[in-house]
Amino acid sequence: MANDREVLREIWDGKIPVCFTLNSEEICDLQGPDPFYLMVPRLSYFPLCTEKVRKHFIRHIQSDKQEHEMWLEFNGIPLKWHYPIGVLLDIYFNDIQLPWNIVVHFDKFPENVLMHCQNKEVVEAHFLSCIKEADVLKHRGQIVSSMQKKDHTQLWNGIMNDKFDQFWSVNGRLMETSTEEGFKYIPFRCYTNEDKYIQKLVKPMNEEGQRKTLKHLLNEVFPDQENVTVRTHGIVPPLETPLQWMSEHLSYPDNFLHLIVITS
Amino acid sequence: MTSNEAGISLVAREDISWRKDLISQLRERNRSQTNCFADLISLHNRLFESANTLRNTNMQLTIANETLRREAANGNIGIGGNSDLEARLLKQAEELAMLHKRKGEHTQQIVDLNNKLQEITKELQAKEISLAESLEANANLRLEITKCLGREKETESINQMLKDEHQALQLAFASLEEKLRKTQEENRQLIERLIKYKARDAEKMNEENDNFLRKRQAKMQKELEDAARDTRPVSPDRLSLKEVAGLPTAVPTKVSVTFVHTSESKGILVGSNAGVMSVDFDSTGTLILGASNDYASRVWTVSDLRLKGNIVGSRHSTLVALSVQRHYFHADPSNYLAKLPHLHP
Repeated sequence: MANDREVLREIWDGKIPVCFTLNSEEICDLQGPDPFYLMVPRLSYFPLCTEKVRKHFIRHIQSDKQEHEMWLEFNGIPLKWHYPIGVLLDIYFNDIQLPWNIVVHFDKFPENVLMHCQNKEVVEAHFLSCIKEADVLKHRGQIVSSMQKKDHTQLWNGIMNDKFDQFWSVNGRLMETSTEEGFKYIPFRCYTNEDKYIQKLVKPMNEEGQRKTLKHLLNEVFPDQENVTVRTHGIVPPLETPLQWMSEHLSYPDNFLHLIVITS
Repeated sequence: MTSNEAGISLVAREDISWRKDLISQLRERNRSQTNCFADLISLHNRLFESANTLRNTNMQLTIANETLRREAANGNIGIGGNSDLEARLLKQAEELAMLHKRKGEHTQQIVDLNNKLQEITKELQAKEISLAESLEANANLRLEITKCLGREKETESINQMLKDEHQALQLAFASLEEKLRKTQEENRQLIERLIKYKARDAEKMNEENDNFLRKRQAKMQKELEDAARDTRPVSPDRLSLKEVAGLPTAVPTKVSVTFVHTSESKGILVGSNAGVMSVDFDSTGTLILGASNDYASRVWTVSDLRLKGNIVGSRHSTLVALSVQRHYFHADPSNYLAKLPHLHP
């Protein structure tokens, strides 16, 4: 059970300043729109916080493109909306200066790079599928399938409305362990670059019944590399951190640990 | 929870170290990334929103201001309800009515003028049509004129040709005329010469006749002398009477004189029913008088050898024909007999 509320709270409160600017080619007024500044939660997804941004910029583009889907770009790279914002921030950590400058596009949707996201239901479906995947790894999917529809909705609303208690009242159940051994497997994704991540079945305990730490996990994922460090939530967790604790406390709301390998 | 706490207490030392590290990192992160921007961004958002609201409010106020101003402008007229303004209003109303009336008149005028304009337009159209027709006719006529001019030129050229021909013919004609005249002249000369020759011939003949007569006279004189010497008493009256009674028998039966024509025959004078006893030319030489033995004399023209007429009336054959001015005697009894027609008309 995730009980270290101090850590959870700190993680939950992680927000970053973002400066949205409209792509200069798409401006149709004489006077371009002002950039739009926003504090976005690291744990959220971009489609959940950019409604105001869209509203702000939509008056300044050509009327026939106003119905187009909005997409975001940083440093010439389209940003994948289905990654949590914190993951994107960690992936591009080296290039980012705060506030994070993101360019807003309405035209020329990069079909090959991005999935379409017409509304928040798409994000919700993706989010819930991630939770289910994680729960299959942790508890063979027993807990999530025993949940009711309203529990799923509550989880989602907690994320959407940035309600810590609302979210954790349901998410706590997903983090429970019935046995001493903890989760069956640790749900994690280990990003080596912006497109690729590695998933592996890693148990929180070794065969001798001892708790595994982050170091063990990295050794299993990268057996031929030493001194691999990872970043998550904008911090570099110590290698001695126990996996079970990490999974309980440092997981994103989709119940996955998103670990970004640091390349020096 | 209990198990975790137990775990924590078991390995508290190391636990605390990694947890402390984590917590401090998270706090540091939140402090540097979140807290220092949060106020700024929230302030910015507040200002942004307030700016938007103020902008909207400003626009609304502008609109409201405008409407109020308009209302105020309208209202000013309505408010001025004192007598002066009312009088002015009344006057204005009257004026308005008058203007309306005038407007009606003007409208009527406009209608009339429009009608007139339409008529004029129609006329204009008709005129334009007729003008177009005239232009067409004009063009046609011009074409015809050019055609006619061409024809005239042709005719002129033909005329010129004909004139030339005419001139050539005239020249030919003149030359021919000249030739004709020459020929006539020649002809005349020839005739003159002929007449001359004829006259000479006649003179010669006269001379011969004279000679002959003289000889006869001489002979007769001689005979008379002989007879006188005879001295026989014979009554001359009786003799003459006897001579008259025996006249019809006095017609010569033999040719006393024969003219021998040395030249060939020029022509034949036809018409006489008996032998021609005597011929003579008239004074001009154009007519021939012939005395025939059929009791008639006849006249012929010399030029075409035609019979002009008969002189009848003599009961006896005419022996001698004579012209008025010249006297030729061809036969020996003619000297007396020629008077017979006068004696017996």
